[in-house]
Parts: sequence; C-alpha cells; structure tokens
Amino acid sequence: MVKEYSTFVSAPQGLPEGQEIKLAIKDLTPGPRKYDCRIVKAIVASSSDRIEGGDVLWLKSLVGITSPKPWAIKILEELGDSIPRPPYSELIQVTEALNEGLTLE
Amino acid sequence: MAFKDNREFIEALEKTGDVVVVKKEVDWDMEAGAISRRACELSGPAILFQKIKDYPEGYRIFAAPVATYRRVAIAMGLPADTPIKTIYDEYERREEDSIPPVVVKNGPCKENILLGDDIDLYRLPSPMCHDGDGGRYIGTWGFVASKDLDNEWANWGMYRFHVNNQRSLAMSPAPGSNLGMVLRQQYLPQKLPLPVAAVVGADPLSSIAASAGYAVGRNEADLAGGLRQEPVELIKCETNDLLVPAHAEIVIEGEILPDVSAAEGPFGEYPGYRSRGFEPKLYCRVTAITYRNSPILTMSNLGVPPDDSHVGGCLSTAVSVKRRVEQAGVPVVDCYVPPEGAAFMAIVSVKKGGNEVAQTIGNAIGRRRAWISKIIVVDDDVDVFDMRQVIHALSVKCHSTRGIFLKDTPPGTGNPFSPCDDAEEKKHSIGAVAVFDCTWPSHWPKDQIPVKASFNTIYPQEIRDRVLANWSEYGL
Repeated sequence: MVKEYSTFVSAPQGLPEGQEIKLAIKDLTPGPRKYDCRIVKAIVASSSDRIEGGDVLWLKSLVGITSPKPWAIKILEELGDSIPRPPYSELIQVTEALNEGLTLE
Repeated sequence: MAFKDNREFIEALEKTGDVVVVKKEVDWDMEAGAISRRACELSGPAILFQKIKDYPEGYRIFAAPVATYRRVAIAMGLPADTPIKTIYDEYERREEDSIPPVVVKNGPCKENILLGDDIDLYRLPSPMCHDGDGGRYIGTWGFVASKDLDNEWANWGMYRFHVNNQRSLAMSPAPGSNLGMVLRQQYLPQKLPLPVAAVVGADPLSSIAASAGYAVGRNEADLAGGLRQEPVELIKCETNDLLVPAHAEIVIEGEILPDVSAAEGPFGEYPGYRSRGFEPKLYCRVTAITYRNSPILTMSNLGVPPDDSHVGGCLSTAVSVKRRVEQAGVPVVDCYVPPEGAAFMAIVSVKKGGNEVAQTIGNAIGRRRAWISKIIVVDDDVDVFDMRQVIHALSVKCHSTRGIFLKDTPPGTGNPFSPCDDAEEKKHSIGAVAVFDCTWPSHWPKDQIPVKASFNTIYPQEIRDRVLANWSEYGL
C-alpha cells in the first residue's frame, strides 16, 4: 500500500534526486494521526518510476502551495521527531537545517 | 460575576444569539477551519462544533470566541451593544486595578490526567485550520505559561503551537517575545529545559490578558484578575511548578528543550497571509496532558480581518500602546488598534501634536518591538474609533513629505509575520515603522490653523441650536 507524505521546500528543483537526504515529512494517512511529523533519511525523485517501491511525496512551497505533480520518496531510516539544532539559531528553513552543507537551491 | 470558564461564556453567548451550535459532524481537517474563517469574514457568530470526525461524542471545538466587539463586551460582563470606545475605556480602567490570582487544590482541568506512556496529543481534536498549514494547530487562541528562572515572574503569552507528534509540540514564540527573551537569556546559556504549560480554553478574559503586551516582570494572571474583577483560580501543574487556570479545558505540560528544534509552520497568520514557515522553532516535549471531561478546544482560525486576534487581541494591544506613549511623556487622549489594520496599525490622538510629538510616539511604540508598523497621529478633534474621520485626517492633514516619518528598527525587533518584508528582513527580523503625522504643526500661530468645515466647528452656536431645533421641520 503506497503511503503519502508531504514536506515543504524552498524550490523543488533544489532537491537532490537519487541522493540520501534528511527531511521532515508529514504523514498524510487519513485518520486522527494525520499530519504526524517524522524526521527521516530518504531518497527522493521527481517521478515515481525512478524509485522502486517508493511512496508519494507532495512538495509544498514555504508558504504552503502544493506542487501539482507529486514526487516519490523511499524512507531509509527514521531519525526521530526533532532537529538537532538549538532554538533561535540563525533563521533557515527546516530542510536546510537538516542538511547543512548541501546546496538546495 | 466573571465567567469562570468558556462553558459559562458560551451559555451567555447563546442567550444573546452570539454563538451558533453546529450539531452536524464536521471534519477537524480543514472543514471546521473553513466554516469559522467564513463566519469571521462575515462578522458572524462564534461557533460551537459539537461533533468532530474521528473523535468521541462530547469532544468539541469552540471557534472565534472574541472575534466581534459584541462578544468582547459580553466577555467583560457589559451589554452586547456596548460602543467600542466604552469597551476600551472599561478595559483600561480594569487594567489599572490588577487582582492577584488565588491558588486552589482542585479544579476541573484535572478531570483527566495523561502521564507517561498514556500521553497522546492525538486524543484531542486539534484542527487543521487552513489547507497548506504546517500542522494541526491546537494553539491558536491558547497561551503558554512559563516562569522566569530568577525572579518568579510568571508569564502568559499567546503564541501559536501545533502538534508535532503524539508527544511533542512545535511552538513559535518570537525571539523578542517575553518567553523568547527568558529562554534566550536564562535557560539556553545553561542548557536547561524551560518548563511550560500550554493552556487551551481558559476563560475569555484570561485569554485576552495573555494576548496583551504586558510589561516585562508583570504577571498576566494579575491582569486577568483585574479584567475579570475577581481573581483567577489557578492550580499547580502535575509535572512542574507552573500555575494554570483551574477551569481551563486543556492543559499540556511540557518542557522546551535547549538543544533541539521542531519543524514549525507555515500558518495562515493574523496579518491575513501565510508568508513564511517550516523553520526550526521550539520543540516542546510533553510531560503531561490534563483536560476536562468532554473538552472544548478553542480555535481562532486566523486570517484576513476580523478575527479574535484583530478584535480581542487588538484591544489589549491598544491599551499597552497607550501606556507606552504616556510613559514617553505624550498626553494621549485615545489609542485605537483597528481590526482592519490586522494589529499593524495604531491610531493615537493627542491633546497637542506636531512633528516632535509624532516622532516621540513612533519611537515609543517601536522601542522594543516594531510589530505595529503604521502609526497615525491625530489631533483630539478626531475620534480615533471612527475610521471615516481618521481617513479624512490622514488624507488632508498629513503632509506627504514633512508629515511622514520612516524609521528602520534594529534586527530582532521586526514583526516576524509581516508579509511585506523581504527574505533578508525576515532572516534578521528587521523592522520598520512609518509615522503619519496628521496633527497641526506646533509652531503654526493659532489664528492661522485651518478651521474644520463641519457642522459642529464652522457655525456659531446660535445657528447650530436653531438648525437642530428646527431639524424635523425642514423635512429632514
């Protein structure tokens, strides 16, 4: 059963396809636990045929606009529910914070 | 008698027709939000949703509690049709007489207590307010109680927070907020977790008090007592020493961790836009959840005005602004933060104006936080509560160059929710304030100040009396 997730990114084209990346994703499984947040290590791709057995990943802009075409995601590892970064560090968005050193835009 | 809880408040709203009880099942996933958003935009009633999809009978959502001045008046025990200026004056009067809380041993917020493995935020019907939000915001008209490490200053602040997962919240107090200041200056340097209690569904005046920009070091619980004209009953938390309203619907106890963050936002905010989000914000590990039987979760579905933040929230903001300007030595007559301005605009009337006075007001308001970015200063012949008069003054009395003062404010003071700020301004929380001086220059001779061409100001008393006495005879 294919599951669906969402995440927020500055720009979809900045996501590295086929590489391991850390993401904060929201679980879109219907029911009272919908939108549960998980931090994961995953591989993502702009098309489902590039990831065998992948799930659906909806990309949203930082102001919450959903891209029309979903990406695919294969979760490799669960990394908990928090970002290893003290409060009030310099303001950057979550995906940058989880992948310091990686150029996303 | 003040309302001890939202249940009594809802009963009062039912009597005046200011709440609608929705019995049809609604989905917590956007449907309840969409209904209350539309109701707010129509200046409609508060809504009590009685049946929430996925949740047991009796679990309810109370939306838009103080999104109209009628409901604010009712919350204050005033007649529903009390004029806005009277509500403001009464708030100001009560604010001056704060009443400390009393501590009780038992309270309905302890009817259900979840500890340890039983902690599960998904037991509560937190709404997904808007499509595209970053999470289920259980805290939209709730507040966070915290304490100063050194001085026992108990702060209540209204900051948004959403469910991160079963056992954690993502919270969004700005670095310059009272909680943010205490966390940055006292807890983070020592790598200590900050104990907090997120209160959802306190009585309406405690919630308004928590939204106030109350002075650093002063307890909002005292302000709530003053507004209520009787003390708030507080009760100790289960897992920390914080005190919370005993009659609150839901209390989420926890601690903000000093070494990690949570993915927070975005959220359709009170300026009326969703302009930023999905940033590492405060991670709150939940240590206990206590709630009443058949809990009523409060929701303020923020967006374009008017909603609770623009009405109930702006009332407290305006009085805080007035106090700050008075402390700067300006003889203020009235201050109004109009709902249409989404808390970004303040209108201040003064006994004696002029450029220096206007600039002093701008400096006073933007000194610590430049969250109000448009300040209109008018002479005392303008009723600040009448937007027709304010727009008239702005249009004809504010000189388009000499009457407008622009000022950047230091990093960290800007409004993080300002939709017009660019990426760099957002990153450093840089603010800006514009003051529109609609007062006559102080150096103009009195006999050269233009005369207002209105019925009350441009005719002799004798003519006005005659016209008024004969008004109906004119067929008018």
